[in-house]
Amino acid sequence: MSETLNADVCVIGAGAGGAVAAAELAEGGARVVLLEQGPAHDADQFSARPLEMLGRLYRDSGQTATLGSPPILLPLGRGLGGTTLVNSGTCFRAPEPLLERWRCEHGLELDGLALDHCYERVEHALSVAEVSPELAGANAAIARRGAERLGWSHGYLRRNARGCVGSGVCVFGCPTSAKQHTGITYLPRARAAGAQVITGADVRRILVEGGSARGAQARLAGRRALEVHAPRVVLAAGTIHTPLLLARSSLGGDSGQLGHNLVLHPATAAFALMDEIVDMARGVPQSFYVDEFAGQGIMFESVAGPPSYVALALPLTGTRHAAAMSRYRNLAQFGLMVSDSSRGRVHLGSGRSSRPLIRYDLVESDVAKFRIGLRRLQELFEAAGAREVYLPLAPRVAPEHLRARDLKLLAFHPLGTARADADPARGVLDSDLRVHGVRGLYVADGSVMPSSLGVNPQLTIMALATRLAFHLLERTVPDGPRGSYDGASEVSPSPASMSP
Amino acid sequence: MSQPLDGFLAAAPAPQRAGLRALLALARRPRGARLIELFPTLEQLTCGLLAAERCEVDSAARALGWDADAVVARGRALRCAEGRP
Repeated sequence: MSETLNADVCVIGAGAGGAVAAAELAEGGARVVLLEQGPAHDADQFSARPLEMLGRLYRDSGQTATLGSPPILLPLGRGLGGTTLVNSGTCFRAPEPLLERWRCEHGLELDGLALDHCYERVEHALSVAEVSPELAGANAAIARRGAERLGWSHGYLRRNARGCVGSGVCVFGCPTSAKQHTGITYLPRARAAGAQVITGADVRRILVEGGSARGAQARLAGRRALEVHAPRVVLAAGTIHTPLLLARSSLGGDSGQLGHNLVLHPATAAFALMDEIVDMARGVPQSFYVDEFAGQGIMFESVAGPPSYVALALPLTGTRHAAAMSRYRNLAQFGLMVSDSSRGRVHLGSGRSSRPLIRYDLVESDVAKFRIGLRRLQELFEAAGAREVYLPLAPRVAPEHLRARDLKLLAFHPLGTARADADPARGVLDSDLRVHGVRGLYVADGSVMPSSLGVNPQLTIMALATRLAFHLLERTVPDGPRGSYDGASEVSPSPASMSP
Repeated sequence: MSQPLDGFLAAAPAPQRAGLRALLALARRPRGARLIELFPTLEQLTCGLLAAERCEVDSAARALGWDADAVVARGRALRCAEGRP
């Protein structure tokens, strides 16, 4: 049984990029159909129990992993909101020198002022604000104490949260709906403006005819087929799945860059046993940063969680693990993230499986960053008065001597696999995020980034999606939060006037 | 195996699911646990999973100062009182 829908724009993926694009386009008068592979999630079902929520909110129970040295866990959200549902909510703008580098090296005409308007618009929509010291909690206070004693540059993070009470389970489903993920911000706006949002839609192919996008084919539950006919398609399936869908549709491959240039911001964390009670999950888990070494590609951000989360993450075994867990209330944790020079690749696995094969090896310069970063983490905790520090290394491996295989890493910011570059020989997308050589086909997720961002990417993904949506509407992004343009007050453009 | 851990494994990719189930079954046996101790990475993995399973039990979590039900109840009350989604 099959069904056909007609739209002005078909958006694929309801995460950071897709939800923003869908809402802005729908409010601008476009008929939008948004296809999301995963389900809708209900905050009533969030249990604050990590093992249970990993299985519910994350693709592959959070066990998507890269192959390489070392293997890296790559937790990805799945469902309405995408990874914004399960991230820590940290919001950073892209550093201006990086945008300048993108302009110079990749020909990306990212007008600073226009992008500023996009950032402002997103920040207003998501209630982005700095975490207060009180809400940050004792875990952040310990890191702050260490940073102050060492004279390291630091601060409280800006997050997309409103009415947060520090439940401590941002990455396991916010039980208070304080975290302003796209599922409760942009998606309701999209629906209110008439967008049709369809969950459980596994998009199998993007339709192109005569060099122009024509829509998408999807499989729904019960083997039903859905075809969306739209002259414009915005693909936002995420860094891992966007290149796979393009490849399956025989699109975007001319430059040879599709699926390549994967960067991850590989990360790890250390624990410390303190004399004081910490109760790390009381407060905002990711609330504080130390950017003293950001120029070297090393960023520190706080991280925390309930006991079962710590049990999984603690780099100890046997009686030492049990002893540390018995002192859970006295444990502090702080994370380290590297702006990677390593480059990986995503491609389809062999055989009938449509599972991605993600290959990524840490290059020596990134291993060196971890050597420095882990030593600095130890210094930070010792300066804060830690009784013991537990580094994420095998026993008897000192940071200075670690090798790639000694590291236990996770990564939360996959980027770059459909990178934008004005030169079609070097990039998959042009400066407008349009797939080179295909009219009407665009990408609006982390895969567009030409390089590592060095900071949490959700805000930049959303700003770029905002820029794209207004480009398709042939409008400039208004000055101010929602500017003088409000979807209810402007005359809606006819579909024919939209940018191809 | 507890329901939370079982659910966690059930949603994992097939290779990890099979491997982790086998590893955990081995780790629950004295001889198996001693064998796993020879491989530090596997030892840490099984130790972490088994400890996480224990900590997800409400009584064990509350003994460590974490009450998931209270967190959920407060969330529900806030959402209801303030009309949050």
